[in-house]
Amino acid sequence: MEFDKNSTIKLAKLARLSVNDNQLNSLEKDLKSILKFIDQLKEINTEDIDPTSNSLDQKLILRDDIAENTLSNEDLLKNVPESELGFFVVPKVIE
Amino acid sequence: MLDNLTILEASKLIDEKKVSALEITNSYLKKIEDSKKLNCFITVSHDKAVHAAKETDNRVSKNNRIGPMDGIPLAYKDLFCTKDTLTTASSKILSNFIPTYESTVTNNCINKGAITLGKLNCDEFAMGSTNKTSFYGPVVNPWKSLDSDEELVPGGSSGGSAASVAADLCIASIGTDTGGSIRQPASFTGAVGLKPTYGRVSRWGTIAFASSLDQAGPISKTVEDAAILLQTISGHDNKDSTSSQKPNEHYFSNLNSSVKNLKIGIPKEYMSDDLPLEIQNYWNEGKKILSENGAEIIEISLPHTKTALPAYYIIAPAEASSNLSRYDGVKYGLRTNEKNLIKMYESTRSDGFGDEVKRRIMIGTYVLSSGYYDAYYLKAQKIRSLIKKDFDNVFKDVNAILTPATPNTAFAIDKEEKDPVKNYLNDIFTVPINLAGLPAISIPFGLDKKGLPVGMQLITNSFEEQLLLNIAKNIQDSINFKNEPKCWWK
Repeated sequence: MEFDKNSTIKLAKLARLSVNDNQLNSLEKDLKSILKFIDQLKEINTEDIDPTSNSLDQKLILRDDIAENTLSNEDLLKNVPESELGFFVVPKVIE
Repeated sequence: MLDNLTILEASKLIDEKKVSALEITNSYLKKIEDSKKLNCFITVSHDKAVHAAKETDNRVSKNNRIGPMDGIPLAYKDLFCTKDTLTTASSKILSNFIPTYESTVTNNCINKGAITLGKLNCDEFAMGSTNKTSFYGPVVNPWKSLDSDEELVPGGSSGGSAASVAADLCIASIGTDTGGSIRQPASFTGAVGLKPTYGRVSRWGTIAFASSLDQAGPISKTVEDAAILLQTISGHDNKDSTSSQKPNEHYFSNLNSSVKNLKIGIPKEYMSDDLPLEIQNYWNEGKKILSENGAEIIEISLPHTKTALPAYYIIAPAEASSNLSRYDGVKYGLRTNEKNLIKMYESTRSDGFGDEVKRRIMIGTYVLSSGYYDAYYLKAQKIRSLIKKDFDNVFKDVNAILTPATPNTAFAIDKEEKDPVKNYLNDIFTVPINLAGLPAISIPFGLDKKGLPVGMQLITNSFEEQLLLNIAKNIQDSINFKNEPKCWWK
């Protein structure tokens, strides 16, 4: 599918970004240029190659599954834009 | 006496009680105050620094100094969370964020007695190689061309970390490197920049950009200082599941600059006619020095080099789009007032992120979206295996690899680049190393004809930082690069 203005609008929506008409044109141009750049990889044969998600040759090390008190409620809420009774407050989602 | 101190020199002065930690700290705080034109610092932690310096002096008076880092003034890229000190990632969206905890990296430095001078400007969320994407404006390179007065970029994303070391606004600094963000600015400013092996340094408390690539490391004036700092910040951390369990090493006391009988690889794919002649010449000089000092120079091939940049520009934005989804105006940071939740998300994020960050979030969203995942993200991860295999193969034959650190030297801040892809090419020599997770160091080699620093890059196999530092020291001692930028900014 050709990447166009509608793809840009859809992407912005998925990424939770609002984009005005002015930005839309330059964004579409930039994204097209980047996509063209990464599309070069299509020419590389990667059949039978396993993906690498990170370069470490070790298993992820998990800590023991024991509850710890790391951040207090008070500390967690220190940077919150809006809170009430120790909870995060967001705009109403249910009418 | 207090100018251009290295960690070793300052440590000696403190040990011999010739100068107090407070005197050194105050001298740096004064320099920072006088150097605002460079725009290196977002936050100066004046009171914190003075308090910590007094504590060092107290320990020194009781002959209880913790070690070589005790009393050494450092500054940190504003990507490391610092308790009770503003931490912004150079983004508007975090312009009011005051962490309630300390990152492992900064905590390790503080525990060894290092003094926090403040937080350094960088590209927004470490996305960029010019420092121009910062919400707080660009950092200015202390170096200028011989023939022009225009202000130059310090490179990025750790631009403030590199420029502050070059301008001597701190003894050394800590940056992060996702695709070259320590090595490229170190190269543009004549500093030493070390990116450790992925997993060597804990990422806990470091604001995430691309989690499978991000790694913190030092920017310093000498290789010795890089060794001391690596020793200080590295080691296993329970809080980072990708942190390596390999024991921490004594990089500084084990420094041995002999390169006798080492095999140094020169990858033919890194050579191109586009590479400026002066950079080619310094590269050749590097080969000559190492060979005269007893190493064997071998041409090698890393056949998938060309695929590294496009693979990186799939993997890094994909991980970034996922990591940056947490900035939603709910838990911390900026919030734009809207009555509807989705509108609140959208307008908070649109107002809070800059253009480059938005571009990368959107590319990341695209390559991860349903129907495209296999064609882009999975494909890039497979390419990553091929790149890693290239390095695995050559490290059967050579001990280290020598390449230029950057394909250019510092350029004008005013130079407008309309096409984002052209900017991405700045990282052509550094990105493959992050994809393979290897350690690498950029060391200053000399000046080009415009009088601007040129850096070379050494790469070794995973967890061979000691060997990397040893070879770097050999080159440093042979070249004796002592150029300092002429001070125009005070």
